Amino acid sequence: MTGEVIAFFVLAIVAIMGGMLLLHLSNVVHMVVALVFTFLAIAGIFITLSAEFVAAVQVLIYSGAVTIIMLFGIMLTRHDDVSEKKQIKSSTLLAAGGVGAFFLLMFFAINGMSVSEPATNLHVDNTKRIGELLYTNYLIPFELISVLLLAALIGAIILAKRDDKQEEKP
Amino acid sequence: MVHYAFMIPLFPLLSFLLHLLFRKRVRSIAPILGCICTLVPLVLSVGVLIARFQGTTYTKEIEWLSLGKTAITMGVVITPLNAMMLVIVSLVSFLVHVYSKEYMKDSERLGTYYSYLGLFTFAMLGLVMSVNVVQLYIFWELVGVGSFLLIGFHYTSLAARAAAKKAFIMTRIGDVGLLIGIILLYWKTGSFSFAAIFQSVASGGISQEMITVTALLIFVGAIGKSGQLPLHTWLPDAMEGPTPVSALIHAATMVAAGVYLVAIMYPLFLASSVAMTTVAVIGGITAIFAASIGLVQDDLKRVLAYSTVSQLGYMMLALGSGGYDAGVFHLMTHAFFKALLFLAAGSVIHAVHTQNIREMGGLWNKLKFTGPLFVVGALSLSGFPLFAGFFSKDAIFAAVYHDGRYVLFFIALLTAFLTSLYMFRLVFLVFFGPAAEKIYRENSIILLAPMVVLGILAVVAGYIGSSWFGAPLQRFLHDGTTSLPLEAHGPVWLPYVAILISLAGIGVAYVRYGRRKDFHHENTSSSPVTMLLKNKYYVDEVYGVIFVKGAAFIGTIFVFVERYIIEGMVGTLASTVQWLAKCGSAFQNGQVQRYGAVAITGLALMLLLFIVLTGGYLQ
Amino acid sequence: MNNVPLSGYLLLALVLFCIGLFGALTKRNAVIVLISIELMLNAVNINLVAFAKYGENPGLTGQIFALFTMTVAAAEAAVGLAILMALYRKRKSVHVDEMNHLKQ
Repeated sequence: MTGEVIAFFVLAIVAIMGGMLLLHLSNVVHMVVALVFTFLAIAGIFITLSAEFVAAVQVLIYSGAVTIIMLFGIMLTRHDDVSEKKQIKSSTLLAAGGVGAFFLLMFFAINGMSVSEPATNLHVDNTKRIGELLYTNYLIPFELISVLLLAALIGAIILAKRDDKQEEKP
Repeated sequence: MVHYAFMIPLFPLLSFLLHLLFRKRVRSIAPILGCICTLVPLVLSVGVLIARFQGTTYTKEIEWLSLGKTAITMGVVITPLNAMMLVIVSLVSFLVHVYSKEYMKDSERLGTYYSYLGLFTFAMLGLVMSVNVVQLYIFWELVGVGSFLLIGFHYTSLAARAAAKKAFIMTRIGDVGLLIGIILLYWKTGSFSFAAIFQSVASGGISQEMITVTALLIFVGAIGKSGQLPLHTWLPDAMEGPTPVSALIHAATMVAAGVYLVAIMYPLFLASSVAMTTVAVIGGITAIFAASIGLVQDDLKRVLAYSTVSQLGYMMLALGSGGYDAGVFHLMTHAFFKALLFLAAGSVIHAVHTQNIREMGGLWNKLKFTGPLFVVGALSLSGFPLFAGFFSKDAIFAAVYHDGRYVLFFIALLTAFLTSLYMFRLVFLVFFGPAAEKIYRENSIILLAPMVVLGILAVVAGYIGSSWFGAPLQRFLHDGTTSLPLEAHGPVWLPYVAILISLAGIGVAYVRYGRRKDFHHENTSSSPVTMLLKNKYYVDEVYGVIFVKGAAFIGTIFVFVERYIIEGMVGTLASTVQWLAKCGSAFQNGQVQRYGAVAITGLALMLLLFIVLTGGYLQ
Repeated sequence: MNNVPLSGYLLLALVLFCIGLFGALTKRNAVIVLISIELMLNAVNINLVAFAKYGENPGLTGQIFALFTMTVAAAEAAVGLAILMALYRKRKSVHVDEMNHLKQ
């Protein structure tokens, strides 16, 4: 029982707890905050997987940016939190059945799966090597991603902008 | 002249189309149009006959359908038999058209009547000129349609409708046999043409059993059309149609189509002794069976109808006994004298407005032309010496005697006796004896002229087949073919026996019916035999019990099966489907989340299936 | 047991993915649905990074693709929220079960 294993278990439990709280809580803001724990735990998982740069990006983007965006989204829309009734609907049952079946199948598929010996040198100069790869091997996907981000930025602005003409129409 | 043969059926077709299109407007000229459209084929037919007499067989065909390697052709072929049939059909058809002008003049639907007549004539002429069995079958069915329409012409009458349906269904039973026979022939020989089929039969290309089977199946078709036992019951009922139609279709032409079919497929029948025996036996039994029923019927036309069935049996008997010439010869003479008898009967009915012979009598002095003409027909049918029927019946006797089946020969003689007995029963009951107090007028010349023509032919037509003049008909029929059996010559005493039998029948009829004094005589004896005959051997009743009740019984069982088993299954199925549809429509609530849930469930199921079926990737 | 086996990471990813999926399929609030989708994407990222270390061909490719996924996820979150705003202005609601335009 090494420290890595202990760290994994703790982080995994935190991540799953965060997910469970997301499902269980009724206040929307609480849900998002619960999920921040999950995101942070996942960042820790990334560190155990020798992906330091990815972990950093995870903290920045998910725990920072996405969560903030979601909180803004919640604040900008009206919420009547009492409407989350605790009665079980048929659609919930159906979704639970489907997800459960999917989970079981996948569980049996991945159970005991071990492909090869782990790589040992991934953490050496991790950020530097990622940067080199991004600007050599993955240059074109990288540039495409930047175009996608630009498009998403413009698209989001246009969609979210209050359009006065459209407002009058209906 | 023979090159114009293809035009022969086209004129009746034109007549059919014109009458059909303009039947409301051309009522006044409909008969004239019809007569012209049959006179032209008559002239052409006579020309073709003369040309064929001098020349050889003429064949003209065009490709109609190409199915793989097989090409189905349409066209005309003029063999001696065809040429003779053409003349018979077009002549009788023309005379009936003329006759109908007067007989049907009060009909509301004169145009329709003439259009049906045109259709029938077209089909019949096309039938006798067919180059292959497919064309034959097409026209064979068209003839059936024409017959159906004409029998049911008085469609307001329940009996006519029933008779039309009965005729159609009964002949259809036979047609199925014919169709199967044709298909089997094609299967075995790879061709529809007569010549190729006969070639294959002659060279042993078909097994003996298959020849027998196909010949019997084709004979089933002939049984249906020619009213042979056991499918004969439609023919007497068909007398519900107008009398000229009976003369044309149910005496002279269509019912003879069955005999014609056997004649034209004769090489096939000759190759199978079983088929020949079947034809002969069915023919013989039908002959005596129908003749005995004819003895006691009271309806003028029905007596003639049973007589027709009987005479068709005669022809089949002759053909089955190897007497090809005799059968065809009798077909020709019968067409003339039976058409004459029907037209004369129509004339009588037209005058007295009843068909029951017990309400007639003493008409000899009142219908001065119809009476003698009817007697001429009756004499000819009875085989009275020097009339046409005498020669053709003599030929049949000779053929049957020569064939050596003495039981059938005896049946033929007995039938001849019965024939002259029932015919002269008719003559004595209708034309002699005490008369009713009413006054009847002789019919007009338009009715009488066709009868006169037929009367002359009923007398003289026999001589062309008589050996006294060197038998020109037989030589003509054998022209160009070698496969037909030669004319059989009976013993010297045969004609005398035939004459004796004919006279005996007439004599018995005179003793029995000719000397009655009172008009409304009651000789309806109720002996079992009479009752049996009066009820036509209960054939219809037996059919009623076996087929109708049997079908009803089977139907009841199937109703039960259907109602409780099939409908139960169907109901379950339907409600299951409805339930599934309800479940399905519950998913279609327009919410993306529901769609996603369904999608993930489906994905899970597909993965499960994948793992169960293939074991997954990693195993 | 010196190392956590690959299946351990995969199992964690699976659990998180299923939680995200269930949330996305059942929650009424559109914001929560969006954030559940982010959770699913994160689970996928765990898989990518885990296979980058324990997979058949270890290397940095998996980590780079995890980065790409995060970028796309961020873009998706931004656009998704923008759409949500537009919808909210129209319908005055962010409840997914009231958005059944597909039915009409």
